[in-house]
Amino acid sequence: MAIITAPGTVRVHLNGLKRDDSGRNGCHGGREKNGPRVGVGSSQHSRHETFEQPPMYVAVMTYVGYGIVTLFGYFRDFLRAVRIEKCNIAQEREDQKDFTPLYQDFENFYTRNLYMRVRDNWNRPICSLPGPVFDLMERVSDDYNWTFRFTGRTIHDVINMGSYNYLGFAENNPDFLKTVADHLQKYGAGVCSTRQEIGNLRMHEELEQLVADFLGVESSMTFGMGFATNSMNIPALVGKGCLILSDELNHTSLILGARLSGATIRVFKHNNMLSLEKMLKEAVCSGQPRTHRPWKKILIMVEGIYSMEGSVVQLPEILALKKKYKAYLYLDEAHSIGAVGATGRGVTELFNVNPADVDVMMGTFTKSFGAAGGYIAGRKELVDYLRGHSHSAVYASAMSPAITEQIIRAMKCIMGKDGSTEGIRRIRQLSENTRYFRSRLKELGFIIYGSDESPVVPLLLYMPGKVVAFAREMLARKIGVVVVGFPATPITEARARFCVSAAHTRDMLDQVLHHLDEVGDGLCLKFSRRVFSSRPEL
Amino acid sequence: MALGDCWKQLSWFYYQYLLVTALYMLEPWERTVFNSLLISVAGMAIYTGYVFMPQHIMAILHYFELVQ
Repeated sequence: MAIITAPGTVRVHLNGLKRDDSGRNGCHGGREKNGPRVGVGSSQHSRHETFEQPPMYVAVMTYVGYGIVTLFGYFRDFLRAVRIEKCNIAQEREDQKDFTPLYQDFENFYTRNLYMRVRDNWNRPICSLPGPVFDLMERVSDDYNWTFRFTGRTIHDVINMGSYNYLGFAENNPDFLKTVADHLQKYGAGVCSTRQEIGNLRMHEELEQLVADFLGVESSMTFGMGFATNSMNIPALVGKGCLILSDELNHTSLILGARLSGATIRVFKHNNMLSLEKMLKEAVCSGQPRTHRPWKKILIMVEGIYSMEGSVVQLPEILALKKKYKAYLYLDEAHSIGAVGATGRGVTELFNVNPADVDVMMGTFTKSFGAAGGYIAGRKELVDYLRGHSHSAVYASAMSPAITEQIIRAMKCIMGKDGSTEGIRRIRQLSENTRYFRSRLKELGFIIYGSDESPVVPLLLYMPGKVVAFAREMLARKIGVVVVGFPATPITEARARFCVSAAHTRDMLDQVLHHLDEVGDGLCLKFSRRVFSSRPEL
Repeated sequence: MALGDCWKQLSWFYYQYLLVTALYMLEPWERTVFNSLLISVAGMAIYTGYVFMPQHIMAILHYFELVQ
């Protein structure tokens, strides 16, 4: 409760849509920025994460490319304004032209002039199970992507490198899905009520007990939607007068939940323990702005695996910091539960820490379990409090019985409770696939972000023209990839994000790598300047 | 045969130029507009160089007293 002399200012960073590039961690100067330097102790296994920088001409040409397209965007907007060209996108009505403009901000400009030109690479309709291979509906556009029409043909057996199908549970094998079909027959598809009213089925309680056993904690609670788990439960945990320290690259659901809660939000640099420690020190010393009272709660929000970078959180260091400064930890394991760790228990197992040390463990069932929904797990008092006070628990309708059974059977499979070794086989297969894919991509000469354990592999493409050409070329070769640009990533770091799955065979991965090699040469995407040897010990 | 290879190589370079300058995302008439602007500016620069280069070179040589 020290009274500070210098005025403390509240810096509320908006880690919303537009992130600028300046926040990269562990500055070394030079072309490769290693993973961040550790502030408080280091983990036993050094997790090697690199975020290699491209040559200078790549950054320059990326800006040039965006500049040219923006100029043409202004030109086309001008043509639309003087009615030389027809406007195909939403506009204000004639009699509302003098009101406050709705469509003049940057986001709408970007959508009209950049996204619409190339939007055939997103929202592609699929017409089969999103397993390791899937079918796409072929669609063409006659007016440069303003409207689409289906040709009626289906593109069969496209290799799926975009679905979050880490353990391959998105399957339609009748043997595996027998219990799901039985429950669907017995209970129907919907529950038609909330958990607190009449929607609490016995299988929901069974699922919660199973999740708690799986994670090694006292108790857990499940919700019907993963996004809603974050955005509706954080307001129940923190409120005005609390401090949230959130990582720079947190998911929108965490940011939304933090903003809804009304707490003060401060952003620390991605995975940077020095930045976090500095903020914790300042928070404990200065207290709340203006009144300097101590904060009611300090909550550190991090994710297990960050889905755009493929980087893994530094859990041991954060736990040490948390204990030292008496803060609470909220760990969002959406992408890491089931996907990392020797038996699929997530980052707590990966780093060998006691799960009871993490105050709030959150995760989703969408990624590794092939279902939908989320959970929050922790001590019994926490979960009992959330049952009564969370918006999602009180108002959202309960999880569908078929989905609940899918999660139960997937979790039993992973834990080995169904009596087979299928679960552990899938986890090992995923780990092997991840290592193989990542090392081969580095050998080929692409710039890959993230840690070697994460099954999310972002491949950097940088230039907007190349991003679009890459997606189209890969589809022509029957490989479905997800490309992401601004605003989900910084404007100069557009990327293709691959999600390796346990259901991919070595053959499929080899095929993908072969095509990546060819496309990489044809589009000049191999920017890496590291000399990579497959036998470093020699 | 060699002309075919040459054409393929040139075609590949043009494709790279389209990708790097993001003209790949634009419609064909916009590409034509941009290319003609670029060529006209480059052409004017070359023409100016051609017209004024002898004068400039003579002035430099005169300054360094290599020629009267």
